[in-house]
Amino acid sequence: MPISADQPGNRDASRVAEGAPVPDAQPPTTKTLLDVRSVSKRFPGVQALTEVSCQVVAGEVHALVGQNGAGKSTLVKCITGVYAPDEGEIWFDGARLQAATPKQAADAGIAVVHQRMPLLPSLSVAENVHLGQLPTRLGLLDRRAANRRTRELLARFGLEVDPEAPVSSLTVSERQEVAIARALFRDAKLLVLDEPTAALDAAQAQHLFAVVDNLRRQNVAVLYVSHYLEEIFALADRITVLRDGRLVRTGRTADTDENEIVTLMAGHRPAVGADVERAPASPADAQAPSVRLQGVSTRVLQDVTLSVAPGEVVGITGVIGAGGHEIARLLFGLTVPSAGTVSLGGEPYRARGPRDALAQGVCLVPEDPAREGMVPEMSVASNISIVDLPRFSQLGALSLRRERQTAREYVQQLSITTASVDTPVRNLSGGNQQKVLLARALAANARVLVLEEPTQGVDVNAKREIHRIVRGLAADGKAVIVISTDVQDLLEFVDRVIALRRGAVVRDVAAGETSFAEILDVSVGAETGRAA
Amino acid sequence: MSVDPKAPVTDSPATTEAGGLGASAPAPETSTSRRTWRTLSIGGLDLYSMWPILVMIIIIIITAVRTSNYLRVYNLENVISQIAPLGIVTMGQAILLISGGIDLSVGYNASLASIVTGLLLEHGHPLGIAIVAGIAAATAVGLINGILAAQNRAHPFIITLGVSIFLFGLDTQLTGGAPVNNMKGLYTLFGGTFAGGIPTVAIPLVVVVILTYIFLRWSRLGRQAYAIGGNEEATYLAGIRVKRTKIYLYTLMGLIVGVAGMVLAGQINEASFNLAQNYELESIACAVIGGTALFGGRGGALRSLQGVALYGVVENAISFAGLSSNYQQMALGVIIVVAVMVARVSR
Repeated sequence: MPISADQPGNRDASRVAEGAPVPDAQPPTTKTLLDVRSVSKRFPGVQALTEVSCQVVAGEVHALVGQNGAGKSTLVKCITGVYAPDEGEIWFDGARLQAATPKQAADAGIAVVHQRMPLLPSLSVAENVHLGQLPTRLGLLDRRAANRRTRELLARFGLEVDPEAPVSSLTVSERQEVAIARALFRDAKLLVLDEPTAALDAAQAQHLFAVVDNLRRQNVAVLYVSHYLEEIFALADRITVLRDGRLVRTGRTADTDENEIVTLMAGHRPAVGADVERAPASPADAQAPSVRLQGVSTRVLQDVTLSVAPGEVVGITGVIGAGGHEIARLLFGLTVPSAGTVSLGGEPYRARGPRDALAQGVCLVPEDPAREGMVPEMSVASNISIVDLPRFSQLGALSLRRERQTAREYVQQLSITTASVDTPVRNLSGGNQQKVLLARALAANARVLVLEEPTQGVDVNAKREIHRIVRGLAADGKAVIVISTDVQDLLEFVDRVIALRRGAVVRDVAAGETSFAEILDVSVGAETGRAA
Repeated sequence: MSVDPKAPVTDSPATTEAGGLGASAPAPETSTSRRTWRTLSIGGLDLYSMWPILVMIIIIIITAVRTSNYLRVYNLENVISQIAPLGIVTMGQAILLISGGIDLSVGYNASLASIVTGLLLEHGHPLGIAIVAGIAAATAVGLINGILAAQNRAHPFIITLGVSIFLFGLDTQLTGGAPVNNMKGLYTLFGGTFAGGIPTVAIPLVVVVILTYIFLRWSRLGRQAYAIGGNEEATYLAGIRVKRTKIYLYTLMGLIVGVAGMVLAGQINEASFNLAQNYELESIACAVIGGTALFGGRGGALRSLQGVALYGVVENAISFAGLSSNYQQMALGVIIVVAVMVARVSR
């Protein structure tokens, strides 16, 4: 295995603090396959990558880690030709990747396997593997040859799928293997696995690890992107840590531990929530929680117990798939618990759907405003009033005047930037769309608000305003649950943070008594069951 | 192992501002600049949405210059009589298209209404009862369409196509293949009859257009139609009973189709299975020409009426110019394609 020679100073965090990325710990004897040289990438309002350099050598498993927004996926997209870097160069197998198109990257031998794999479900495994290059005999497809070649390929890499099975009959994990096989069939020299275990159960994940190990032995390089450090420590030869779009460290796995990696991912963060006023904890509230989950389990959640009091803002975090989204769905009546009880204001609570949840005073602001939140063609006013049309109508006839007037009040109260309340909401910026949804939640007059990723994709100022609005909702006595993968952002305005890991609560702590690093550690670290 | 809260200082402060935003895609603010060119307006009138009227005026001017009798009153009456039943159906189709639905059963459903009414009249039932029964039959079909479409098991395109084929069989079975060709009182009502100088068929058209306009603009159900067509998932999550709304909308469509069936049968004094042939596609075409989105969320009664008017004027102008009806079909085909492409571009 191409483990590099030890490089002194690599573990010295103070060197990193000086802003000088540690040179790669790569031995001169192994061949550098991928060479990312000082790549920068900017988006409007965001510097996603700043002078990131990193090398992957043939036959190594190289892990890429970092918090949400650290620049992992931007870097992956630069490597795979989705984005062209603004500055810097990417070299692969001795040649510079010039045009930066996905096709060019694929032709050079870089393959990505991500969660939504573009397979053709009605075709067989062999046909998917050979797609575009099916062998022919006398002008007709030669399925037998395709099946044979696929079988050989699968056997060589320890992949266990039937070449003749239609892809539609396969499990998620098997489809992933087909995608890997397809990449290998095209002579991929570098496989990028982007959160490969997100949709897999434990046994499937184990099998994937064996496949990755096999790839390494066959001298294929793997760039492994994952939130789960335990996987990384089990698999990777080297680890590259990104933070805020910069390279923090590339080092050998053998030379570090989880503690250090979490520290590197977290970095130094400013003191928590200095500028936000939090409601004083009142003992009366603690006795009568607005929302209470007691030992709740679903397909995703495992024995979750938590409560949120009126006037309290509770942040729920964890990596994608850890269970935050499921809690939102549960409270909004989109999924039912298989065990445990949910109560609202002391009474048993069960919503049969969004309408029922709203009627009982629970309002959800979904995570993806464009897909689940707004009706883009409709006006700001209509998007607010839709949650309670009877309030704006008499005998089925809408009062457009009343609707506009109410919308204007919310626009002012939440300082929504829009030409008028008649403007189609698709014309608003992301932050303002988010605020329109908050206005809708206000219009719904709910006791419990569940906000999913309320600050995702909005600029810094909009974030601050959303924080302010959320605090205002709590000050009005509402129980607010903020579900977010952005831990840093959560710590700035919530009272309490609940960290989930694979569906279970691993931390429930006041925001002032924890740190970014601690939450990150319990969310991604290897050890479980450390709940307070 | 747990991390020391006083984590080592390994960060340079300049990098923190991108935290949390990082790799997310560029902000969606670009959408505003893209559509500024679209507002081609003069004096507050949006010329884009008015293009069918403008094309219509051009066609009228050209035809009037080239032929002598064109701008006569009776020709205008001709156009109105021709478009009235189609115009009524188009209003219903527009409502469904706005809600993301579609109804391909309207042709044979209008025929069903006319056949039920015609058969009852033939058996000597009073006109009022016959009309109510005919419209009720079409409304019932609408209700069935709605119940089936609301299940979200298959696209309403397929569901209503199946219902349409069923109705074709039902219609021919009821009439035994031969049309009912005495609509009695209904013919007196709509068969080339005038009231106050206008053809009586214009009255149901105008009433349906006005009601549709009010429905789409001021009714709760109409608003829900826009919302479902614009984003069904979001509408459901906003607490709207999407299924129930769909059932109402398709039932309303059935009612409107029933009215159109009455007008059509009275106009030509006949009830038969092929009375409203091609109405399904023509009504969709008219609504789309007028600017109603084929996949929901946008559109309106007056816009769709524009589409119907253009359709009628083109048909009339070509026959007036002495060209064969084959040219009508060709011209209408061209207009539909152009209209859909214009709508696509201006989105």
